[in-house]
Amino acid sequence: MDPSRRRALWGLGALAGSSLLRAQQFDPFHDHSRLPGFDEMASIMDFEEVFHAKLPRQIYDFTDHGEGSEFNLRRNREAFSWVDLVPRGAADISSIQTATELLGTKMAFPIMAAPTSGHGLLHKEGELATHVGTTAASNTPYIVSNASSLPIDKIAACATGPVWFQLYPRPSVDATREILEKAQAAGCAAVAITMDQQASYYERAAHLRHLTEDPRTAGTPPRRPTTKNPYRVPDGRLWYNWKFLDEIRPFVKVPFVAKGILTAEDAELCIEHGMNGIYISNHGGRSLDYGPSTLEVLPEIVSAVRGRVPIMIDSGFRSGTDILKALALGANVVTVGRAARWGLGAFGDAGVQKVFEILQGELVMAMAQTGRPTLASIDRTLVRTRFR
Amino acid sequence: MKINLITRRKTLAGMGSLAAAASLPAQQPTPLPKLIGERPGRITPLGDLVNVLEFEPMAERKLASATYASVAGGDRTFFERITLRPRMMVSTVDLDLTVELFGEKMFAPILVGPTAGQQAFHPDGELAMVRAASAAKTVMVVSSESSYSIDKIAAASKTTLWYQVYPEGDLNAIQARAKQAIQAGCKALCITLGAPFRNATGAPSPASVAGAKNAPLNWAYIDKLRQGIGVPVLLKGIMSAEEADAAIKNGVQGIVVSNHGGLLTSAAAASTLEVLPSIADAVSGRVPVLIDGSFRRGTDIFKALALGARAVLLGRPPLWALAAYGQDGVQNLLEKLQTEVGRTMGGCGKPTIKSIDRTSVKIHDA
Ligand SMILES: Cc1cc2nc3c(=O)[nH]c(=O)nc-3n(C[C@H](O)[C@H](O)[C@H](O)COP(=O)(O)O)c2cc1C
Repeated sequence: MDPSRRRALWGLGALAGSSLLRAQQFDPFHDHSRLPGFDEMASIMDFEEVFHAKLPRQIYDFTDHGEGSEFNLRRNREAFSWVDLVPRGAADISSIQTATELLGTKMAFPIMAAPTSGHGLLHKEGELATHVGTTAASNTPYIVSNASSLPIDKIAACATGPVWFQLYPRPSVDATREILEKAQAAGCAAVAITMDQQASYYERAAHLRHLTEDPRTAGTPPRRPTTKNPYRVPDGRLWYNWKFLDEIRPFVKVPFVAKGILTAEDAELCIEHGMNGIYISNHGGRSLDYGPSTLEVLPEIVSAVRGRVPIMIDSGFRSGTDILKALALGANVVTVGRAARWGLGAFGDAGVQKVFEILQGELVMAMAQTGRPTLASIDRTLVRTRFR
Repeated sequence: MKINLITRRKTLAGMGSLAAAASLPAQQPTPLPKLIGERPGRITPLGDLVNVLEFEPMAERKLASATYASVAGGDRTFFERITLRPRMMVSTVDLDLTVELFGEKMFAPILVGPTAGQQAFHPDGELAMVRAASAAKTVMVVSSESSYSIDKIAAASKTTLWYQVYPEGDLNAIQARAKQAIQAGCKALCITLGAPFRNATGAPSPASVAGAKNAPLNWAYIDKLRQGIGVPVLLKGIMSAEEADAAIKNGVQGIVVSNHGGLLTSAAAASTLEVLPSIADAVSGRVPVLIDGSFRRGTDIFKALALGARAVLLGRPPLWALAAYGQDGVQNLLEKLQTEVGRTMGGCGKPTIKSIDRTSVKIHDA
């Protein structure tokens, strides 16, 4: 078997499992350790391979693993196999139109960079490299995480591509207000408030960390029960509530989007509370084990929202066909988290750029192959779903 | 070679369909991640274990194979068919897992279920178990086939105890034991229909399994057994709405949906969680409905609560923990599950057990 074919197969194994870890375990062809170079990057999963090889094990584990048993992490990928694309003829590549606008932000493709924390761990230039990379990839909008390694104003100023801000609420309204004002002053064109991940635990990453500790210690010290927290639940985010959202709503003058929505009920509530967009996400399988895949709840939310606000989606997107499926089911824009991290960790800003260019190219190709030359022509008739 | 070929063909098929912009072929269910990487024969330090499932391979390393076989495995297929419905922006900062059962407030909706002969797993048997349950504020159901006497167990206990008997053989003798247990402080009596765990090693004896399976419910016998028992009586082993209804009409104060860890019935039989909704509907709040059967994660317990159970009984997991780590292991395991249930409630925006309902879950077709 020639090496490129072997690598492609390996990549597919990883695609199915959405983790290199499992891919390695089950891959019968994994018999060498040569690292592919930048020019060999042909699909998103290729970056994961390089990312895995280049970065310390704990950083890889932190990026790739998910909540609990990772049922949800696996289901995110599995759900794409429950949606078939039903091509209708083909379209000329040169006729494909992908430009769109979301809440005032113009973009050449309906693809954005999801907010992910601490890029300083992945590359010495941290979020600056990410912003340079997204800008180079046809001004892909970049949602900067509230948990970034660098301050938002520095990140926003280092390149010209559009930047949004992601907020983790602080219990103090004033502290939250200050964060929001800083982000808007830095030029963030919209804000996404992350509502999920109330009490997550990255079980598999913790397990692997324990195994590799030397000498073996007693693992993570158990959380002690207190009278306020008798069940030892991570309680930093349990206080989130709608009243708080109402209180901070006036501080956001730019479009304000709710991230982490997975039910029709919550989508409705978000609109009632004045949110301008619904961002369907399970934090890339990092929020709640046994939660649903985002793709399978997309139809329920699309029908609840009835076009009143735009819908964004992420969690598990790795290819142009993945993106096309979500667009067909009613999403306006897809964001990717890990893909961008893999690109950054593997090759810095050039890696980020290449990741988005691959996704953009794959989307164009998928639109051409399925005979949908414009975003408007992508609708439910493009897919057959077998959600269970 | 053959395995390689199949894998390769499947992978290639997947690639073909991707290229054609179709979807991947239907995938096999991913096997649950087992403990990866621990050196053979080594017992992982207790503090390193991250979930309940990891106690099982540890028990396997400690126990004689026949003893381990009596507590191995579980049927988790139905749990995999239920997803949760996460809800946002509902404060769960005052997370409350307490439930009321028979007038008593329980710290969490989790009980140590009745399992026979615990000395087969640890020299301190039920004494270690009850000390751990006490430390974790968990109700323990003592089996009438315990290794230690109920008096000794009760003396070591700082928690609420229930007692469990089998409705077989000499009625007077069973009643006498039950009364002795109540005398010792047991707060409820659980009558187990069918009897898979018969001998001291906990292994089911085929004869008793076959007998129990075919025995019709003998209400007259159960009625007699209840005479003079001054505590609530639960029937354990109910698997249909009809049986549940009959049990209540016959004066039973609680139901435990159970198929004895799948030992009684064939593999084709329904899982307990699958029949729970119809039983909960039939009972419709008249008596508390409890359940057991392969509960291993906080999300499992949350699902049962959403489908109408008041609390969940654990069978095998406490025995794994007991075998591998003794009392500390059992306490750790119980507390892990409490925390996991709490985390799940946080993720689903359910601050109390009462607020968990059927809209919190979605059941998917097989
Ligand atoms: C390592 C990592 C860190 C993340 N940090 C954040 C964060 O700081 N804020 C946030 O809203 N989401 C965060 N996310 C979630 C992403 O925004 C996004 O929802 C998720 O990565 C999408 O799934 P994908 O990685 O499969 O593309 C993080 C995800 C990962 C993998």
